Amino acid sequence: MHTLWMRLRLLIRMNWMLNVSALLLLGIGFLFVYSAAFLRHDSAQPVLLYQQQIRWSILGSVAYFGLALCDYRRFRSVTWWCYIVTLILLLMVLVFGIRIGGARRWLALPGVAGMTFQPAELAKFAVVLGVAQFLGRAGPLRTATLLAGVAAITVLPVVLIAVQPDIGTAAVILPVVWGMLFAAGLPLRWVLAPAAAGLLVLSMIFGALILPERWGADPETSQRIAEMTGMREYQRERILVFVYPDRDPMNRGWSKRQSQIAIGSGGIAGKGFLEGTQNILGFLPRTVAPTDFIFSVIAEETGFRGAATVLGLFLLMLYSIGRAALRARDKFGRLLCAGVLLMLFTHIYINIGMTIGVMPVTGLPLPMISYGGSFMVGTMALLGLVQSVYIRRIRFPSADAHPVLGDS
Amino acid sequence: MISRYHEDKRQRWRLMILMIVTLAMIGSLGVTLFGMQVRQRDHYEGSLSRQSIRRVRLPPQRGRIFDRSGRLIAHNRPSYDLVLYLEEFRQPGAWANTIGKVISVMDELTVLMGEPPMPDEDRVRTHIHQRLPLPLIAWRDLNARQMARFAERRRYFAGVDIQVASVREYPFSPAACHLLGYVGRADPAQDDPETGRAFYLPEFEGKAGIEAQYDHLLRGEAGGRLIRVDAAGYHWGDISERPAVAGADIQLTLDIQIQQWTEQELADSQGAAVVLDPRNGDVLALASSPTYDHNRFVPVIRTADWEVLRSDEHSPMLNRATAGRYPPASTVKPLVAMGALINGIIDTQTRIECTGSYRIGQSTFIRCWRRQGHGILALHDALKQSCNPFFIDLAVRGGYGIMLHQAAAVGMGQRTGIDLPFESAGLLPDEAWKRRTLGDGWRTGDTANVAIGQGALLVTPLQMALMTSALANGGRLWQPRLAMGIWDAETRSMERLPPRLIRNIEWPPDLLRAVRHGMHAVIHARDGTARRAQVSGVNMAGKTGTAEVGPKHLDRKHGWMIAYAPFERPRYAVAMIVEDAESGGITVAPRIGRLMEKLLAEEGR
Repeated sequence: MHTLWMRLRLLIRMNWMLNVSALLLLGIGFLFVYSAAFLRHDSAQPVLLYQQQIRWSILGSVAYFGLALCDYRRFRSVTWWCYIVTLILLLMVLVFGIRIGGARRWLALPGVAGMTFQPAELAKFAVVLGVAQFLGRAGPLRTATLLAGVAAITVLPVVLIAVQPDIGTAAVILPVVWGMLFAAGLPLRWVLAPAAAGLLVLSMIFGALILPERWGADPETSQRIAEMTGMREYQRERILVFVYPDRDPMNRGWSKRQSQIAIGSGGIAGKGFLEGTQNILGFLPRTVAPTDFIFSVIAEETGFRGAATVLGLFLLMLYSIGRAALRARDKFGRLLCAGVLLMLFTHIYINIGMTIGVMPVTGLPLPMISYGGSFMVGTMALLGLVQSVYIRRIRFPSADAHPVLGDS
Repeated sequence: MISRYHEDKRQRWRLMILMIVTLAMIGSLGVTLFGMQVRQRDHYEGSLSRQSIRRVRLPPQRGRIFDRSGRLIAHNRPSYDLVLYLEEFRQPGAWANTIGKVISVMDELTVLMGEPPMPDEDRVRTHIHQRLPLPLIAWRDLNARQMARFAERRRYFAGVDIQVASVREYPFSPAACHLLGYVGRADPAQDDPETGRAFYLPEFEGKAGIEAQYDHLLRGEAGGRLIRVDAAGYHWGDISERPAVAGADIQLTLDIQIQQWTEQELADSQGAAVVLDPRNGDVLALASSPTYDHNRFVPVIRTADWEVLRSDEHSPMLNRATAGRYPPASTVKPLVAMGALINGIIDTQTRIECTGSYRIGQSTFIRCWRRQGHGILALHDALKQSCNPFFIDLAVRGGYGIMLHQAAAVGMGQRTGIDLPFESAGLLPDEAWKRRTLGDGWRTGDTANVAIGQGALLVTPLQMALMTSALANGGRLWQPRLAMGIWDAETRSMERLPPRLIRNIEWPPDLLRAVRHGMHAVIHARDGTARRAQVSGVNMAGKTGTAEVGPKHLDRKHGWMIAYAPFERPRYAVAMIVEDAESGGITVAPRIGRLMEKLLAEEGR
């Protein structure tokens, strides 16, 4: 009893700013998943989406508090097991995965009929853990060796996710890992070189899709060059729709255009809960409104006030994760928090950027808010780890004194 | 190597930079949002009120189907449909309100149309949930009166419009109904966010026959147009358009005239017949009886009609020519003869005595159809008279392997690969099959049964036509084919498809000649089993068969006949089966005679 009590007392030392912002975001998520799926309510849906979402968040909370109570340093020893299990799951999804719309991304949960989960969401978790563990190791290593190791840890899951195909999820891992390299304090030229290479590849892909047509190549040649990027037609189309907003407005450009109208017409105060015409009348495609385009629903119904509140909560959340990183007891904890910070940041930025039209359409969810179980549980588990780091932070940091460096 | 202290300090710095950058980028999203929601709000509000943009689908023209001489056997005609653009009926609150609104508008329209709308409430609901961007078709194929009535009052019906669609028409229906198939409403495709193509998918898809087999070529791709409409439904102008792509035309090897003649011969009975060109595998006719009127499927079949067709005990929708499995009966005997000749079990003169039955083991007898027996006879007469003991003796002495080899060579037990869906492979039994299904070894009795086309052996009429064709052309097995040309939009011409040879069967010409002469006598000899097929001026060869099916006491028999003509240079190979017949010679032979007469008269013209 006594030890359990000692354990629970740790909770007092949690980062309450993070607790509060996470809780508020979750609540907002329930409300607007309800609103975004409101249309569906008169069809025979066995379980309503928001109820499902609440169930997932309970599971997520268990992970959150459970991991917060565990000493994160213990995870160093299980990191590689997590990583290997993730790889196995990623391989399994390629073989046994459920195929929806041309991609195998989901595994059926054994024992629960109709429930599926996405191992790719787990992979984000595992890569952050793996890279933090590798970069946070005690022994000194040459920079080149470090880079090679990180590359190896990253490439395997990224390739396995990319062939599902789920280019969006695979691509989001890369900037996260890159940011972790930066945070680990590697010499700048070693950090900037991969970034430059990445930008080069990206601009080559964009160029291959856009330039031949601009330069007056005949359609067949343009098509051939576009196919050399190895992307599928719908993936290329998404980029083209991003560059040329008026391309195919009836079909592929539809959701982006409708999302922008939804957000813009929300105004300062919004149209009111369940009153968003774009949402309720179904201009925002129902398949993506509760998931990838949930932010449009929020911005339409609550206006700039609501949208800015959500952004503010995200800022608060990112800030408190950053604070946990700064006060972490050791390098592993610090990098772990940095990884979580980057992971959440990329999702938030790309998702919201997509809804307001400054990023191309990719299927990345908005953390804590979008409907979807695997990502919700994964995010909350990562936040739990951050709390674990924060609970065991350096108690009395001072700029002058040498801090007591973490043992490991 | 930097000290731990310095490394630590550097990491903190880097972290601060990361935090500042990420927080600033999130903040920049806020700035963009501010711009959109506060400063440019009017612009987007404007877009909202201009949301009376209507997505109009431009349905594609389905490709047409021609027969071998260029006659149109499937084409399109316009159908004027009254459609509702449901996006314009949206009501605040739960979706049920909108459904209610749609229903009430349709009720008002019913007065004008004079008949109830096709979709019911459930259909409206599924339409809203699965294909909202597409117009809901409430009345199809309006007549002039209905169109005029609507035109008069259209200003009272915002969101309702007339749409021209093209619907299928089969001018020769019910001829070739099984082969052509029909089109039906495509399964409602959930708008797939990955590919986003559902909007352009045609409303109809081929459900059977050629329509299904070549649906990917025939269907084309719908286009779309964004138009601006006001509340009264007035079109203010187009915003953008993507034209529809027509489907490709297809030319078949089928001759619709021959098809009709063939169907006439089957008209009063259940059965099937196939006419092949033995020179290249062209399917000239492929008939199955009873038929059904596939124009009833246009534009969409009424549920009641569909139930009647589906529950009909004569299964009119079954294509018996490719999917019917029948025992081939005596029509398989030329094959037994070829096997025995090639393997030296007999030569063309070997004489065998028929006593009226054949004994296997101690107590099993297989009867000859002629109780008193045929006496001593050689191959020629045995074929002519279709003597059972003769062929059983060949098969039993030679062993089942020979039989199996020949049957497999002419394609029994395999799909011919004709370009039609749902082809059956029939059943070519062997020892492994028998062990698997009956748990028993292969016995002499099984060989005897298969040698006279009874037992487990099952074939489709198409397979029998293919065998006949190989006997007629000296052993070349051409894959039966229906499509001979596909319209190529680029070269603006019919692309010819070459015939495909499955294999060349090694049949020594002199031995084959002996079998063919036997088959000639089947028809032209005074005591041939198919003498009723004789018609003046037609020189042909053939073989009859009478298959006993079902329990013995019911005494059900199917009549078979295969034939090819002209005897010297065959251009037609025919196989026909009539279910519940007296016998092949009595029931089927006269039909084959009449059909061949027409075929060759046509040639002579």
